[in-house]
Amino acid sequence: MTLHLVKLALGSIRSRRTRSWLTVIGVLIGVAAVVSLLSIGTGVERAVLQQFKDIGYDIIVITSGGAPTVAGGTSRSGMALGPGGVGTSGTTAPAGQTFDPTQIGQPGATSGATAASTAGTVSTEKLVRAVPGLVEAGNLGTRVVSVDGPAASGFLRLTTPSQSFLRAFPSILGGFKVESGALFTDTTKNEVIVGARSAATLGIKVGDVIPIDGERFTVVGILASSRAGVGAQPASPGAQTGASGVVAGAARAGGASFLTRGLTNTDDSLFVLAERASAVWGVRNTDTTTIVRMAKGADVGQVLSQITTELSAQGVRGTPTSVQQIAASIQGTLGMIATVLASIAAVAVVVGGVGMMNTMYTSVVERTREIGILKAIGARDGQVMALFLVDSGLMGLIGGVLGLAAGGLLSLFGTRLLGPALGVGSFVPVFGAPLILGVVAASFVIGALSGAWPAWRASRLNPVEALAAE
Amino acid sequence: MIAFQGVHKVYPLGETKVEALRGVSVEIPRGGMTAITGPSGSGKSTLLHLAGCLDAPTRGRVTCNGVDLGSLSSRGRADFRAQTVGFVFQKFNLVPNLTALRNVELPLLLRNEPTASARKKALSALAVVELTERGRHRPTKLSGGEQQRVAIARALVHDPEVILADEPTGNLDTETGRRILDLLRRLVAMNKTVVVVTHNAEIAADADTRIALRDGKVESLYQGNGGKR
Repeated sequence: MTLHLVKLALGSIRSRRTRSWLTVIGVLIGVAAVVSLLSIGTGVERAVLQQFKDIGYDIIVITSGGAPTVAGGTSRSGMALGPGGVGTSGTTAPAGQTFDPTQIGQPGATSGATAASTAGTVSTEKLVRAVPGLVEAGNLGTRVVSVDGPAASGFLRLTTPSQSFLRAFPSILGGFKVESGALFTDTTKNEVIVGARSAATLGIKVGDVIPIDGERFTVVGILASSRAGVGAQPASPGAQTGASGVVAGAARAGGASFLTRGLTNTDDSLFVLAERASAVWGVRNTDTTTIVRMAKGADVGQVLSQITTELSAQGVRGTPTSVQQIAASIQGTLGMIATVLASIAAVAVVVGGVGMMNTMYTSVVERTREIGILKAIGARDGQVMALFLVDSGLMGLIGGVLGLAAGGLLSLFGTRLLGPALGVGSFVPVFGAPLILGVVAASFVIGALSGAWPAWRASRLNPVEALAAE
Repeated sequence: MIAFQGVHKVYPLGETKVEALRGVSVEIPRGGMTAITGPSGSGKSTLLHLAGCLDAPTRGRVTCNGVDLGSLSSRGRADFRAQTVGFVFQKFNLVPNLTALRNVELPLLLRNEPTASARKKALSALAVVELTERGRHRPTKLSGGEQQRVAIARALVHDPEVILADEPTGNLDTETGRRILDLLRRLVAMNKTVVVVTHNAEIAADADTRIALRDGKVESLYQGNGGKR
């Protein structure tokens, strides 16, 4: 009988085509909203977490001069370098007005710069010796240098990793993959490796010789564009509105780039070996970040507190932050935002359900005579009820499946727009089996539930009265 | 076969109550054709509905083969309608969005009969009413006479003991009505008990038993010996 019920229900859905479609569309809109928000939310979460994973969950970042959150407020925007490249600061968002974490770690935008110079530099040897849970540690300095290229000239960030740092922590510099040319060969020569976008802006290629702060350096390599593209777009965060703005804010504020002070974005920087930089210019980094790798199975909380103790022992001001902990808290925050957004979208599903209830109620009234016929030829109350439940359940199911497809398309389009805006580069919405199955099952249940009351009424009709209906 | 004992039926109609049957005691015999006649509002249809367990009496007993229909549960009543009786209505009452064949199959499918055997029985019922070739059409594409024949096929597809027909020719012209009457006679020949509520004198004259109602009471009862008078 079940199959016949389905056929009967399909027949009645078809017989009132326009109304059925309108009902289905009501469900469709709600489901599409839920699906797109959930899949985008999961996609953003996954993309952000991937950044952390790329850096490594065993990494602890020690930012000098206190918590990184102090940054942003005191930017000297006249000197700030826009992420877009050399000399373009005038066209980017004024860093002093809008809090933009991607600018942290960029020279001039960081008040920590002055703090760092007075705070001193962490002695990594002492640190590894003092804290049992550590495997290795390394310092990474940045400073601002003036550069002249064939196409443009201006100020750029110069990152100075040591050879051992590059061996131990390539993930901090986005893998440090050279696209053309080669890695550093010699600490005695003036060699520079250039980030992808800086190279393009300056108009330089491998083999060129460019002056950096008055010294002539040979370009030995140009890096591959960093995958995440953190801070790559000169989009103003203020331009985002509504839900996407919320997610964008969360992703930016909590992004891995924030933790590593933008170091993972290698696109807008020059790289000279630390050994060479101090030989040429002396030790005058504007900012130093210490990167530490934990031993497997070490207790994060314990390691962090031991690092803090050791930092004060060394007389250095710094804040250790664990990638693992930040990732967990970001995951929690993003999950919560996604849940809240999906709950709001779920209201649309409920509205769709009420629309369905209305349709089914009207349908019961319209089909009163048919119900009478069915009862006259021997249909039980339960069968009449089942017929209407299958009817509304089918409409719910159709709405759910179409909503799933619509939500999928919506989120595919949405991610194209959101990806760059969120600062997580390109990311894909995630459609897991639980989401798909859950949505399809839920939409059938919502349909059936909405039809339950009308169906119950239908099943209780007196056959004689029902047959007398026009 | 179907016995009424002191049956009263009262319908609420707004504030007032309509007493459709006021103490009817009569028996519809097995086999043959029984005509229930009487003016409008005399309680004919009510009597038919009670006989088919579509409704329950306010007072009194209706029994079929000795079973008190009033004692049946809602499900038992549905099963009684599904097994023992077949209804034919004045307005045909086919399900509009199903084809003729599917309409005829419906009573069987409600009883969970396998699709193949339901199809087979429905086709042979359509053959009885000579509409095999119209099985794929929806009711709206059929003439009134054809619709009524489909309804008759539906009423007999599950091989019930009793066919209950409420003004089966009321919406049809004389010639078509005559064909329907012929069909009902064929059902009698197939050993069905046929009960017809009718205004049609020709049908009434043709019946083996005639129950004439007036104001909710049996006015006269004629029981012939089967066959024409």
